[in-house]
Amino acid sequence: MEPKEQSKEKKEKLWFWNWVIASVIFRLVLIYFPKNLNLASRPEVSTPLTSLRRLAEGYWLKQLSMSPYAGSMYHGSPLLLSLLGPLTVKRIEGQPDHLLCSLVFVIADIVNAMLIRATGQNLQMEYTRSLKLLDHVKLSEKPGKIIPSGDIAALVYLWNPFTIVACVGLSTSPIENLAIILSLYGACKRQAPLAAFGWVIATHLSLYPAILIIPMILLLGYGTDTPPRKLFLQRRNVEVGDNPPNDRCCEREEVVHRSEVPHVFSWRPVIHFFCWTSLWSVYVLVLCGISVKQYGGLWELFKRTYGFMLTVQDLSPNIGVLWYFFAEVFDFFRNFFLIVFHGNILFMMLPLAIRLKHRPCFLAFVYIAISSMLKSYPSVGDSALYLGLLGLFVNELADMQFSFFLFCGYVGVSLLSPVMHNLWIWRGTGNANFYFATAMAYACLQIILVVESVSAMLNHDRKLRKPLTELQDGKN
Amino acid sequence: MAESEAEVPKAKPRPIVRLGIFLISHSCLFSVICCTAGVLTLLLLPVLAKNTYISENALMPGSANPMFSSQEVSEANRLVKSLTSLDSKPVGSGIESQRLIAEYMSDLGAEISYHKFYPRSNQFHPLHFFSYPDSGSTRENVSCISHGLNTVGIIRAPRGDGKEAIVLVTPYNSLKVGPGEALSLGIAYSVFSLLTQVTWLAKDIIWLVADSRYGEYAAVNAWLRDYHMPVFSGLSALKAEICPVSNVHNELKENSVTERKINDGFRRAGTMATALVIKVTDGSEHFEDSLSIYAEASNGQMPNLDLINIVNYLAVHRQGLRVKVEKMRSLINCKWLKILGEILQSLGHVAKSLNPQWKFGIPAKDYVEGAATLASSLYYQALGVPTGPHGAFRDYEIDAITMEISSRVALNNKARKNDFLLRGGRLIEGVIRTVNNLLEKFHQSFFLYLLTSPSKFVSVGVYMIAFALLVASLPVVAASLYADAHKVDPSFGIDKSTPQASATDELSITPRSCKWLNAAKKVFLVHLWGAVVSFLPYFICQIPSCTPTTSFVVWVLLSSFSLPILSLILGSSFSYGRPSQPQKRDWTLLKSVTISAAFIGLCLMSVINFATAEIGALLMVPMCLMAQPLKLDIRSRKLRKFLRVACNLALGFLGFPPAGFFVLKGAFEGFGGITVGDFWSWLESIWSWSSATYLYIDEMGFSVDVTERDDIRVQSG
Repeated sequence: MEPKEQSKEKKEKLWFWNWVIASVIFRLVLIYFPKNLNLASRPEVSTPLTSLRRLAEGYWLKQLSMSPYAGSMYHGSPLLLSLLGPLTVKRIEGQPDHLLCSLVFVIADIVNAMLIRATGQNLQMEYTRSLKLLDHVKLSEKPGKIIPSGDIAALVYLWNPFTIVACVGLSTSPIENLAIILSLYGACKRQAPLAAFGWVIATHLSLYPAILIIPMILLLGYGTDTPPRKLFLQRRNVEVGDNPPNDRCCEREEVVHRSEVPHVFSWRPVIHFFCWTSLWSVYVLVLCGISVKQYGGLWELFKRTYGFMLTVQDLSPNIGVLWYFFAEVFDFFRNFFLIVFHGNILFMMLPLAIRLKHRPCFLAFVYIAISSMLKSYPSVGDSALYLGLLGLFVNELADMQFSFFLFCGYVGVSLLSPVMHNLWIWRGTGNANFYFATAMAYACLQIILVVESVSAMLNHDRKLRKPLTELQDGKN
Repeated sequence: MAESEAEVPKAKPRPIVRLGIFLISHSCLFSVICCTAGVLTLLLLPVLAKNTYISENALMPGSANPMFSSQEVSEANRLVKSLTSLDSKPVGSGIESQRLIAEYMSDLGAEISYHKFYPRSNQFHPLHFFSYPDSGSTRENVSCISHGLNTVGIIRAPRGDGKEAIVLVTPYNSLKVGPGEALSLGIAYSVFSLLTQVTWLAKDIIWLVADSRYGEYAAVNAWLRDYHMPVFSGLSALKAEICPVSNVHNELKENSVTERKINDGFRRAGTMATALVIKVTDGSEHFEDSLSIYAEASNGQMPNLDLINIVNYLAVHRQGLRVKVEKMRSLINCKWLKILGEILQSLGHVAKSLNPQWKFGIPAKDYVEGAATLASSLYYQALGVPTGPHGAFRDYEIDAITMEISSRVALNNKARKNDFLLRGGRLIEGVIRTVNNLLEKFHQSFFLYLLTSPSKFVSVGVYMIAFALLVASLPVVAASLYADAHKVDPSFGIDKSTPQASATDELSITPRSCKWLNAAKKVFLVHLWGAVVSFLPYFICQIPSCTPTTSFVVWVLLSSFSLPILSLILGSSFSYGRPSQPQKRDWTLLKSVTISAAFIGLCLMSVINFATAEIGALLMVPMCLMAQPLKLDIRSRKLRKFLRVACNLALGFLGFPPAGFFVLKGAFEGFGGITVGDFWSWLESIWSWSSATYLYIDEMGFSVDVTERDDIRVQSG
């Protein structure tokens, strides 16, 4: 029996790796047709922040000992510039331009997938453990029922057309995603230095991941996703009531031991995290300061990068909704609406954190989805990240509503968006409203996805509580 | 939608949810009503058409008196005479005629340049759909021996800044100048000579005498490509390497008396506001002089409606020409259309008697004409092949039409001919003067419209209703099927052996909502196959010396091989032959996914090319809705079911692109002498225009059809 199972497991593993290798080959094939696909110039793929062409321009300016931020071309981090910049100018004869950069992005994608897989395995272990604690024997006994969510999530991330397009289309979003996933992974493994490093780099690169600090703290404090704490308490009550009084004390000790683990907030890793965060941020700031010393210092850097993100200066079309709005709005209302739109993200943080504090990873997913919907220059690379993370919760979200509708919507919108852009820009028969309509549809889809996934998660928690309450009712 | 129905039966759901549930539960009725309404609205479109109006205020058509007089007519006659006399001389007329025209042009003081081009066979490239009008990268199949020579004359506007231009195009065959072509050159020349003298000109005038030896479109397209994509020295050297520079220019210069004006380089005159293609045919009309307007460009794009409006307005109200647009002749004598027209007419009368303000009735004859025009408008837009050289301009966002002027009698009579030239010249002068008034590009009026007569149009807002009604049934049916598939599930569990299973299922985590993934995989596979099939001809084209029939056979063979290979790679099997209850559920899900995919495809296509989507919807919607497993139907042995099976098979047959093509062709031209090669040549003609229709036909047509067939076969097998 056992060798058979082992071989089956082996087969499954082989199957996973086959698909990973196939995805890499697929990417490499696509990299060889950059001219025909012309992905790098699509507004859906490369935004002013993530476009590699802008980065190359910034590097060129820097080589001419001018400020890389001159001329409002480049708005990214100076560290990324010194890392990727040298690769943009290296040309290999007979090969497509930016081949080395593309290879870097492919590697980043694979590392992302592996980290997602490791996170998923961690989450799944915790999930089975907590199910056992809650005595959902039926669930934990049938291992076939629980899908290996890590593998699924990694494959979803690798084979998602959005990820592929962002990787092949020469945008730096795979690197940004790498930083975010690294921080999540570190927090799941409770490695404070790694988590702090990921978080600092992610915030430095694209600013919006700063809100992930709440799930980070929760992850480090409570550990990974578990059913709500109340359930464990309830379970303990049931068990305590069940047992005859004579062997109560030892049993209780065990129960206390078992159920104490998931819901005690441990301050040590959090304090570690903060120490490391301050260390890493000082380090990053010093590095940045050195590299922009001649060009106006750190203040100029902040103004050109974070200021550019927060004040939405570039109104060229993208798949977000802000460009259209700020192209239309009167100038004297501009500041007000900037505050409103960015406040929108912040308003949603606290209620969600309270409601989902027992599932910090899922909370991180929701935050990423919300910020990729409301950020100033969204691209499909951001969607790729949260869709990949969605795969981590495939067991919990199996009963999600509208999954088919959402799938069709995503397919439809992602096909419609280039068509509308073509109609507007190249044929001249449409106008900006055509393209903006697809952006609105896309935003609506994302809202539905967030709402439905959160409600499915809460329903799942309720479902876990149901047998417990029945047990309690039966006893009473 | 599906789950909301299942989960909230106790609490009263919100009204919108209730409405959704109502629609889903009555999906059958709803879809029948929607389809009928869609077809009816399509038939009503000629009634709903509005009169055209000139939307851009700056145009002011016909506000100035024409300056074109008999003096210009005599100029035109002079050119026509020398062209025809040249034609009678046998030797060297190829270059002679261009030289002659250039000489005439330079006498007027225009800048002249020759544009040498090599005809390029239109190549289908699968990836070019995603990029812009092709750059000069695909220059490999250029034959050096044959080349054409366009002559271009430019008048600089006295009031302009050289940033904008109006283009006149006269295509003619330089080897053999026909009488009509000579006349069209004459008209263009006379207008050109008038425009050199006027003071009101604010846009430069370019007169392109296109050498249509290798087709009118190719010449114009080559010139436009070189106009918009300047060739830099490196590339021109490359070109020279490929084709040794022939000394045409020198030859021309030596012969020419007035070489001072002729330029070697490529002359430009800024962005083009409008282009008018002028053609003359003679002697075919019975009643009066008439003007035919051709406007369809590639992929069903149309020029701005204002351009057609001003031409129509000036032709009808100033020059008294009869304006025509293309009609489908076979429909005019159609019985049922006439009857329908009369019904509509009487309905209109009744409505008018009830309330005199309701005026929607139109005479039956108008209705039939409008329907025929609409049908041809739909047909040409759907085909995606431009109806003339004006199509080349639309690819560069320039509004252009072809004006074909034809006279009542053969133009032998001199007075008649002069009158004809006068009217044609005045019309073109009027149009140019009107366009000259434009301050910006044409943008005010519609780009998306269908014509029902030269002065009536159906705008996008109206014709979309017909399409939306037709398509609306698809998502509803898909949702109801999806809901069904989930409803079948628990009842099945109770019906058959394992009642406990369903009880435990409720507790355990069943990936209930992810069952559609399997069906989606299958549909994706078939669509992928459709894509592969539509890209295959590109590779088949590379095989040298193939007759259409053999390449068609190769294509069919390769396509049928690629499906099993694909399914092998993606690991999904098509052969599962155990007909049971879960099979039925699988099938329902498969149908639901197929319908959703068809819906997305149709909506997408309606944005790209409405006419194709409409025709596709007419075929595909009934096919999608009626598809049923064959086996279940045959088993039940009822007349109704048999009828349904027959309908299914017929629709499936018609929807299969080659079959549909043959049936249509047979219906119009008789079945004699159709070969399989015809389909290949037809496809070749479509994809050579990079028409999205081609991709669409193949992708959607094949895919949906195959999925449906698969449904049917799975159940019967």
